[in-house]
Amino acid sequence: MKKILVITLVLLLAAMTAGNVFAQSFPKRNITAVVVWGAGGGTDTCNRIIHAEMQKFLGVNVNVINKTGGVAGSVGMSYAFSRPHDGYTLCGLSESNVTAGVQGGWNNRFDVWETFIVGGSPDIISVTPNTPYKTLKDLIEAAKKSPGKITAAASGAGSIHHLNLLALEKGSGADFNFIPYKGSAPSQNAAMAGEVSVVVTSLAEQQQLLRGGKLRALGMLIPDSFDVEGLGTIPSSFDSYPGLSKYLPISQAIGFAVPADAPLEARAALQAAFRKAMATDKVKNWAEENYYLLSGATGAESKAIFNALESNFAWTLWDLGAATVKPSKLGIPKP
Amino acid sequence: MLIFERIGSFFGIVFGIAADPVNLAVLFGSVLLGILFGAMPGLTSTLGVALLTALTFGMDTALAMICLLAIYVGGTYGGSYSSILINIPGTAAAAATALDGYPLACKGEGGRAIGLTTTASAIGTVISMLFVVSISPIISSFALQFTSFEFFLLALFGILISGTLTSPDLVIKGWISGFLGLFLACVGRDLLQFYPRFTFGFMELESGIEVVPVLIGAFGIPQIIQVLKDRTKIAEAQKLQRIIPEIGTVIRNIPAIIRSALIGVGIGSVPGIGEDIAGWVSYGTAKNTSKHPETFGKGELKGVLASETANNACVGGAMIPLLNLGIPGSPPAAMLLGALMLHNVTPGPMITFEHPTFILEVAAILLLASCAMWITGMLLAKQVVKVLRIPAQLFMPIIGLLCIIGSYSLGLNIFNLYLMLPVGIICYFLIEMGYPIAPLVIGVILGPMADENLRRALMVSQGSFLPIFQRPVALILFIIIVWTVISQFEFYDRIKKKVVLFILRKRERSTAGSAETNNSGEKTTD
Repeated sequence: MKKILVITLVLLLAAMTAGNVFAQSFPKRNITAVVVWGAGGGTDTCNRIIHAEMQKFLGVNVNVINKTGGVAGSVGMSYAFSRPHDGYTLCGLSESNVTAGVQGGWNNRFDVWETFIVGGSPDIISVTPNTPYKTLKDLIEAAKKSPGKITAAASGAGSIHHLNLLALEKGSGADFNFIPYKGSAPSQNAAMAGEVSVVVTSLAEQQQLLRGGKLRALGMLIPDSFDVEGLGTIPSSFDSYPGLSKYLPISQAIGFAVPADAPLEARAALQAAFRKAMATDKVKNWAEENYYLLSGATGAESKAIFNALESNFAWTLWDLGAATVKPSKLGIPKP
Repeated sequence: MLIFERIGSFFGIVFGIAADPVNLAVLFGSVLLGILFGAMPGLTSTLGVALLTALTFGMDTALAMICLLAIYVGGTYGGSYSSILINIPGTAAAAATALDGYPLACKGEGGRAIGLTTTASAIGTVISMLFVVSISPIISSFALQFTSFEFFLLALFGILISGTLTSPDLVIKGWISGFLGLFLACVGRDLLQFYPRFTFGFMELESGIEVVPVLIGAFGIPQIIQVLKDRTKIAEAQKLQRIIPEIGTVIRNIPAIIRSALIGVGIGSVPGIGEDIAGWVSYGTAKNTSKHPETFGKGELKGVLASETANNACVGGAMIPLLNLGIPGSPPAAMLLGALMLHNVTPGPMITFEHPTFILEVAAILLLASCAMWITGMLLAKQVVKVLRIPAQLFMPIIGLLCIIGSYSLGLNIFNLYLMLPVGIICYFLIEMGYPIAPLVIGVILGPMADENLRRALMVSQGSFLPIFQRPVALILFIIIVWTVISQFEFYDRIKKKVVLFILRKRERSTAGSAETNNSGEKTTD
């Protein structure tokens, strides 16, 4: 009798402690966010802002590190995915990463991640100021005359900026010599230094250089024009090339992700902190000052967005002849 | 007038910062933390700045900048401690310091070396600060001269020069070691087309060989084996001598210190590369311009001064493109960029309009950080030398443990240990065979830069090497590289002697000839 009592007591105690641990199980230690693009780029800044707010609600630090390289950021993504799926390793990523699979750098579909979308900034095409191209028309006509001669920079092959460039080529009939860089910041640096003539990055990443006269804006790669303080209105490239509407816009979805098979609790805690962080003035003001449009999508909503992006990106790349693995091989449906 | 106004507001800011005790406490605390980070193998100033970036988010921008710049300055300086005292560089930036610093420590002059490097590092930081305030726009335009070809040549030069400088007998051994490092850097997915190279199907190798475990393995493990095997003391503890300013020695070396600082600022301002190359190039320049190059590597104070001044001057250099163009000049500066973005300061050409005093504030913080570093360093120097009194049988296992922790702490990845140990053992045998190790590590650090930029440059030029000869900076780098290689061969000496003889003879003949004509002239007038 005594024995049974002792055993029940011990079991009860064990259950209670286990229950206790379970109740406050996430997060117990600091979280690492692995950003797959370079420091100072759009994805990096966005992650640093949101995680700095989120850590206030999570009660632990979120350390942001950068792990760049590969096609469509697959080095960092593979690294983050190889860590335990416990919610303590996040992957700071953007829409550009959905092409890693069809480019041969990633063997999964993108829905192995549960995504959190902060937002994005529209893409813009610019040139080195001392080039003769004053308008988009000048540039496109010159590129048509000498195909493959004018150099154009964008971050890694298969990135959104590369896709925007490809779509621009497809829609306008121009042909550039594409040069990949490790991120938006180095590609803009190359355009400033005159190593390349053309650069495609987002407005948020470029606005300082545009306003400082280090680069010249030719056109927004969205259907609408955009007003930039101190620069005036940047026209939409659709005005001169209406055919672009067939291929553009391809919009950014910057945020972070956690493996979809991470414990439910961890994902729920992250979602709650993410929602609170998105509502803070700090994030809102930052978005406005930096030419970002906020999204805040999580769970099923962001999954749908990313699924659409994935099939769109993958099949566009395949149609453009820039993919190495057929999307259907990975089970990605046509858009 | 404008300059005086600028100087006035600069000192206004300096005193404004120094007047607040909280600022001072943060300043000294961060410098000390930086020195600890720098001195521990495996913890680098990049990591220090990265870890503090998140912590400083709650502070206001000025205080955060004090914290981050101070840890950056302290971390760059702290690497010299372990280089000099135990021959294991705390950071890659201090690898060149070990060449002469450790022999000095073996002679019992470790304390003296640390005292002098402290002063030199502080002077280096202050000189670089002057550049930040005065002519940073000009230097930024210099930074824009660097395109892919230049980056490739610079990386190649860094590897070659460290190979040239460190070889105990044959220079070719240094180059072989450097190219082994380059080969290691090729492991992993390539950076442009994502093709797996030498990964043999291992997931862990996909993202390439990490630098920190290689650094720790290559420098730490051979040293531990060596000391324990020979049952020697690590170094002479300390002869009785003062550490506090040998003002005479510093003043005598002022030209060398200024030259090293200029090299540091120049290299720091080139985007993406930083303290490690600066140390080597400066050390190489010091050795090549010295009247007694044979004393280098055997405990030459000038060698220690050269590399330590340059790597600290790099800090200010790296800030120049960061502040003026938004391009980080070194890996820790890249972390700083992130921190600035967090505080809603976007560095770039517009920064002087949006935050008019920001550049001056950064310069003021650099000045204060170098003062704090000097004071802390002077107080620490005498104490840290005492670690050498610990018996090697006790001390070396502790260092071994630190090596393991340092490798593992990077991303908490156990694979790093599997990498560190074999690298260390291979390096031990390489050292036994007379191969220097530093070029191997530099090869691993600069390899990705060389590889990626060469191939990108060829993509831009569509397969042509011609731009090397058309771009001024590239051409200069190319000539320096060719000269570095050729000057090591015997035939170069022979040709040089012949050319010198030829010129001398010609001159003799012409002077003799002119003398004769003069004579004959005189005769005719006679």
